[in-house]
Amino acid sequence: MRILVIEDESKTAKFLKKGLSEAGFVVDVAGDGLEGLYLAQEVDFELLILDVMLPGLDGWQVLTRLRQAGRRAPVLFLTARDAVHERVRGFELGGDDYLVKPFAFSELLARVRSLLRRVPLRQLETIRMADLEIDLARQRVTRAGQRLDLTAKQFLLLSLLARRAGEVLSRTLIAEAVWDMNFDSDTNVVDVSVRRLRSKVDDPFPLKLIHTVRGAGYVLECEQ
Amino acid sequence: MSWNASNSAAPWWRTLAFRLSAGYALAGLCLVFLATASLYLVLRAELEKSTDLFLADKLHVVRTLLRERPDDWDALREEIELESAARRYEQFYIRLLDEHARPLLTTPRMAEQLNLSLLASQIERRPDHPFSMKGTHGQTFWVTSASAEVGSPSKRTDTVEIAIDVSQQEALLARYRRWFLATLLGCFAIFPLIGYRVARHGIRPVEEIATTAQHISSTNLHERILPEGYPFELASLAHTFNKMLDRLEESFQRISRFSADIAHDLRTPVNNIRGETEVALVRERTADEYRDVLGSCLEEAVRLSDLISDLLFLARAESPLSHLRRERVNVAELLDGVRDYYQASAEDGGISLSTAAGAEPVIAEMDRSLVQRAVGNLVSNAVTHTPSGGSIVLATKLGTRAEASTVHIEVSDTGEGIPPEALPKVFDRFYRVDTSRSQASGGTGLGLAIVQSIMLLHGGSVGIDSQVGQGTRVTLRMPVSGSR
Repeated sequence: MRILVIEDESKTAKFLKKGLSEAGFVVDVAGDGLEGLYLAQEVDFELLILDVMLPGLDGWQVLTRLRQAGRRAPVLFLTARDAVHERVRGFELGGDDYLVKPFAFSELLARVRSLLRRVPLRQLETIRMADLEIDLARQRVTRAGQRLDLTAKQFLLLSLLARRAGEVLSRTLIAEAVWDMNFDSDTNVVDVSVRRLRSKVDDPFPLKLIHTVRGAGYVLECEQ
Repeated sequence: MSWNASNSAAPWWRTLAFRLSAGYALAGLCLVFLATASLYLVLRAELEKSTDLFLADKLHVVRTLLRERPDDWDALREEIELESAARRYEQFYIRLLDEHARPLLTTPRMAEQLNLSLLASQIERRPDHPFSMKGTHGQTFWVTSASAEVGSPSKRTDTVEIAIDVSQQEALLARYRRWFLATLLGCFAIFPLIGYRVARHGIRPVEEIATTAQHISSTNLHERILPEGYPFELASLAHTFNKMLDRLEESFQRISRFSADIAHDLRTPVNNIRGETEVALVRERTADEYRDVLGSCLEEAVRLSDLISDLLFLARAESPLSHLRRERVNVAELLDGVRDYYQASAEDGGISLSTAAGAEPVIAEMDRSLVQRAVGNLVSNAVTHTPSGGSIVLATKLGTRAEASTVHIEVSDTGEGIPPEALPKVFDRFYRVDTSRSQASGGTGLGLAIVQSIMLLHGGSVGIDSQVGQGTRVTLRMPVSGSR
């Protein structure tokens, strides 16, 4: 999967390239709008990550010309300016998603993946990981054959982590998905909830499944 | 001070002093002119009237004599020749003519004073109407004539001509006109001077206020105009001006305090990142140690991001362009959502967190995620400041009769409370009741400021009351409908 990053801030470009490469993508970087536009027209990319403030051509212009040239690859905007009308403008021009700096890399990765539909949500009846079994239809969780007594929210939280197993989910995303809280302050509340979930899912068992990724969020995976 | 320069260079005719003095002078001149002119007109009319009456009187006497005693020539001569000659001023002359215009009796020296043939032709043209004509020495005469029946019954018809010298009256009127002109000229010279003095006197306080205002800049905002000694209108201007200065000074202070607070709150995480990284790089470390340092740096960076996004939120909320995405929200459901979110934290701290359901559903138009955030901030504060065993209650209701279109949301806790002297400041940015726990509790010190700006965006308000050791209750009030 090839991704083009058009970003003039070299440090940002560098960590984006590093992080995305490690996540298994092939990444090209362009330092200004004109170079980016040229590359995007020459090479078939599956996704563009586009900074709004760019020398040469700004992000809006790059997107407009790309769409005029018939390129349909999804575009994820990065910007330091968080104003609703800018967001709307991005979407009107055919942008697909929008992230405001500073952002969590895990958040970016999650959005890139969802734009590429690389990780389709598992619409399964039952999710199994090691000795954990989640029955989504009957809302029942067992571990090592033992029935776990979870609250409704705890079940939602666990199934969210399980559906996107292996993916680091940010606290903001968890708060939004489980509690429908659309603001990104005070996310340490999520930590408390995860800790309580852990006390039921992980603490009694030697194999830990829920992991904290410091500064990023939580992931459910089975590290052997 | 370009404003100052352009002000002093204003042309003189645009100054207030000039306009006022011109106005005063004009009004004064008009008044004097009207008064003198009307007096003059009345005087002239009265003089003419008395002359006319005199002429009519004389005519009547002569005609009566002719009718009643046509043959009494002595009486007639007495009347026509002697009485007139005896007068020193306002001399009059009478001529009696028969049917063929031959003079029968004439006041002596009448021919010296008047051109008699001219008189005859003038009378021919305007019979029975008094008119004025010039005498041979330039005097003005007032002349009238009338026919007179001689005898009763009438034997023939004579003509009586009377001319009266009105030069005295003319001279009086001329003197009056000269006085009039002199008075007007005098007023024309004096009135502008008086007007100017009055205007200057009236304007001086305004100039003093302006001078004070010019001296005030951001460095000496504490200066004020003393409102004593000014007339009422200007005292209120000075008062208004002082009020404006109060507000300016306060917001200047707030801005500078705010900048200092931002700098402080940014400095702490940056300092941590810098220090930890520097220390880590001094010598070789194990991978675990590096991971630990990086993780800590990431935490600090997240703290910085949170602070920045809170600041941006506040800045955006203050911008007049910010708009809300209003939708119909069931407030009780919204509170339930917030309660669920904080349930785990509350239970962790041994606090009971509950919502009190009202009798009727409360539906209001609001920006759901913003109000969620406001209530969330309040609950978060309550959880932090309520000891184990306490309780937090979220409640909503519609306002009582007087404010039926208002929705109330209350967050009450049984926490440690806020000292009364701190209460007015809790909504200030970066204000923390307990400064020692600022960093440890993880808050940015902007939580309540954000709550307040969310309410202001909704056209509502926040109220807080608190008893130390008893608990705190914060009340959010906002209109039910956004379209006000």
